[in-house]
Amino acid sequence: MGNKISTFTPEQLEAYEDCTFFTSKEILHIFSRYQALAPDKVPYDMTGKEAQTVRIAHDVILTMPELKENPFKDQICKVFSEEGSGHMTFEEFLDMFSVFSEAASRDIKSVYAFKIYDWDGDGNLNRSDLEATLLKLTQDGLTQDEKNFVVDKVLEEADLDDDGMLSYVEFEHVISRAPDFLNTFHVRI
Amino acid sequence: MSHPYQNTGDFDTIPMHQFNPAFQSASLERQSALPPDGTHYEFATYGYPETRAHLEPPGPELHRGGFRSLHRTQTTDNRYGDNRETKDDIAMENLLKRLPSRQLESAANNAAKTLHRRHSRNKSRHGAIYHSTLRDGDLEDMIGSSSLLDADEEERVEEAIRSTPATMATRRSMIQKLSSRKRKSPGFMKRMNYSIGMGWKHFKDNMAELKYTMQLWHSHLKKIEGHFGTNVLSYFVFLKWLLLINIPTLLLTLGFIVAPQIIYRWLQQDTLGYISSEKFSGMELLTGAGWFEPTELYYGYYTNKTIQVIGSKSYKMQVAYLFTCGGYYLLTIIILGQSILSSYRKYYIEAGGFQSMQIVFKVLCSWDHGLTSAEAVKLKHKSVYLEFKEYLAGANKDKMRKTMIDRCKLFWLRVFTNVVVLVLIGASGYLVFYLSGTQLNRNTLFSNQTTSAAGVSTNETKNPWLLLVLPLCIGLIHRIMPIMFDFIEGYEQYEIPKSELYMHLSRSMVLRVTTLSVLVIYWYTEVSQSPDVPCWETFMGQELYRLVIVDFIFTLFSTLISELIRRLLVGRVKRVTHPTFALARNTLELIYSQALCWLGTFFAPLLSLIVIIKLIIIFYIKMISVLQNCKPSERPWRATWSHTIFLGYLFLFYLLTTVAVACGIIFIKPSIGCGPYQGKDVMYSVVPELVDSWKEEYAWISTVIYFVSSPGFIAAILVALGMGVYMIRTIMMGRQEAVQRLKQQLVLEGKDKTFLLNLLNQVTERHTCTSVSTTVRPLTQQISPQDDIVSPGGRVFVRSLAESTLGGR
Repeated sequence: MGNKISTFTPEQLEAYEDCTFFTSKEILHIFSRYQALAPDKVPYDMTGKEAQTVRIAHDVILTMPELKENPFKDQICKVFSEEGSGHMTFEEFLDMFSVFSEAASRDIKSVYAFKIYDWDGDGNLNRSDLEATLLKLTQDGLTQDEKNFVVDKVLEEADLDDDGMLSYVEFEHVISRAPDFLNTFHVRI
Repeated sequence: MSHPYQNTGDFDTIPMHQFNPAFQSASLERQSALPPDGTHYEFATYGYPETRAHLEPPGPELHRGGFRSLHRTQTTDNRYGDNRETKDDIAMENLLKRLPSRQLESAANNAAKTLHRRHSRNKSRHGAIYHSTLRDGDLEDMIGSSSLLDADEEERVEEAIRSTPATMATRRSMIQKLSSRKRKSPGFMKRMNYSIGMGWKHFKDNMAELKYTMQLWHSHLKKIEGHFGTNVLSYFVFLKWLLLINIPTLLLTLGFIVAPQIIYRWLQQDTLGYISSEKFSGMELLTGAGWFEPTELYYGYYTNKTIQVIGSKSYKMQVAYLFTCGGYYLLTIIILGQSILSSYRKYYIEAGGFQSMQIVFKVLCSWDHGLTSAEAVKLKHKSVYLEFKEYLAGANKDKMRKTMIDRCKLFWLRVFTNVVVLVLIGASGYLVFYLSGTQLNRNTLFSNQTTSAAGVSTNETKNPWLLLVLPLCIGLIHRIMPIMFDFIEGYEQYEIPKSELYMHLSRSMVLRVTTLSVLVIYWYTEVSQSPDVPCWETFMGQELYRLVIVDFIFTLFSTLISELIRRLLVGRVKRVTHPTFALARNTLELIYSQALCWLGTFFAPLLSLIVIIKLIIIFYIKMISVLQNCKPSERPWRATWSHTIFLGYLFLFYLLTTVAVACGIIFIKPSIGCGPYQGKDVMYSVVPELVDSWKEEYAWISTVIYFVSSPGFIAAILVALGMGVYMIRTIMMGRQEAVQRLKQQLVLEGKDKTFLLNLLNQVTERHTCTSVSTTVRPLTQQISPQDDIVSPGGRVFVRSLAESTLGGR
């Protein structure tokens, strides 16, 4: 159907293209997905400030099929939204999928992976963060002893300066050696 | 200025655990590792001569990597619940928070900086080197005050901005600043440079858009990924990639070989061909003989004449055929080489200690975010859980050392099984050879050669099924032998499943290589000499066509049997488990079919079209079968490791087929009655003739060619290449050593940091009564962008902190 209303101004589209790893067609596709989540809240015309002000609620975003079954979904929404509320504007939404796209560089993926695994948000992956990650991964299958053992082993291998937690630098050092990381940290939209 | 620590002499009595947050948050396990008696250890000071600690040998290390020795006077009452102690904890915490290594954003900016510098080192013109600390204020430094950024540099800046982990709003403002700064009016050359660069950039953007709109099967791949994860997806992505690399081959052959032939026929109104007495029956699709024979499908049809196109311009078919063949082989090797190298670089980054990092990878990288179906997610949870259980079990049990006798027995067992495997492979080779022989004898009975004007040979008993005997046998061998190999491998007692898979793949590959080489050698030696076969190249093309079709039929059947029927039998029959997608076997079949395509395109130019159609049909069939019948497998699979291995196998097959075709071109006499090379000694003789014809026009070419093909020159090139490889290897070894040394340095720096922080905290605690944190201004902005070698325990940090504490006294 011929849509005479253009969703974004050409300057906006160009800015988005420059800031993310998407082409303009992909950006429009993502916008259509975003709008389909809450058609009454999100206008067709985003040429003003709507891309930064209109927010879709947290639980609506989590109904997306790409995120619905992900055990880390709450944390992902929290990381990409402002102030960790989980309610996302279109720009944050776009940002999220840009980081998860295939074209994103390893560096930016590792930054956001670190933020996602950092449950308490203190800038380190300490024992409780790692334990929470294990819990999410195995759905509470391992006993506390086993979890402690695994976390100890992880810290033994990855914690280079021996302070009991992984800083970003140590995390990145590990991730750069993981061949599977780029493939698994990827969501197709 | 005086060193702030020089006057303290008795810091050896301060309890260590008070100041180290690691100890504070230590679990019960760690604390229980401390010896319970209040043993007194001294500080060890490695190489810090200015401190006045006692130089005693270090106490026993309590956990790996820590030269941190214990100082405890009374362990019990200082451990918990002191008011003063919690304030120091907070102080320590705040101190640690300000460390550069803890500042996520600056660390990530360093990462972006390295990315930026990597590019700029390759392409820095005008000697400009950029610092990309991408904070707002620093953007001005980055851009540099002088000239217009040309498109290259602007692109790099954009790339660096994309990789900044700031919010979208920040990035947009950066971009705006980038585009809105004042530009000096540039000179003419710069403007032209800029416009060319921008034009190229726009072209690349448009290509990316086009690629997106024409994305093949995007929704299908997404569905598969959602249900099965990246492992099964890698098969389908590989299939799509094979399809795409066949397209240039097809375009080249269509453009340079098939189209001129059709034009020639049109121009000459030649009645050659298409007048066979055969009517088109469906059988031809299977056998490739009959109606298909005198058509563009096969080599024998092509003319050897020079086609007069327009006026005096002529098109030499002989030259075109050979050079097109060379062209698509060259193109394929470039594409393959690039893919292998990029895959290797991406996935096989230098490890060192790779084995022990597995547990960290399991925790941090094992979740596949692309999974969307609930069932797949459940299975993935289970699979991850099983992996952890396996790891825990493996870590706990001691590896039993096999006795000498056991090892000897295993060794001889493996030798025996390998001999058995080789015998099997040899037997299949002989079987193929025998069948080819009998088929040749039968060939005269049903072949139908009408390519040349030399009359139509009558055909007596027409049984096209006989033609298919050989391909069917080969197909059966290729399917049944791996099952036997599986059976044998059960006895070989491999410990690591990865090596078992390796062996299985190698054996299947050797089997296929053997059968193909027997066939090719037979064709080159016997068939080309045989008087019964007037056009051996067409014969070869037909055989390869039949092999491709039969392989396709077998793939369909095996999908049917292994997936559909197994699923139907799951509930009914005992011991039949749910089918999972057999990734390795399927990928190997794809590689084999591609090898057939490469082998056959010279002799049957439209074979690449047939293979493309075959790949499309296989994609849809496999996709439907997988989605309907299979369940995701519970065992983990390294998709990236195996991707590189499969590319390696593909490359090996490619080399072998190139060698085979080259042998045919250079050594075997082409048939007299058909094809572009009728009557020549060898097909390759076209090239010297062409060069000779140039010699008349351009005399210097002959000297150049004489020089280049002389043995001295070639030897010199080989020696230079060898030296280049050796040099690069030496550099690589040197870098590996440097990496090791840097790793050790990293560990030592960590130790430095803890040591210095403890000293520091002690000093600050001594000299300031109020808490340290509130009076000291944040430090991150002070670290200048150029100084990127500040280690976490670096001097700058310590010095500035020390200055501020002394200033705050």
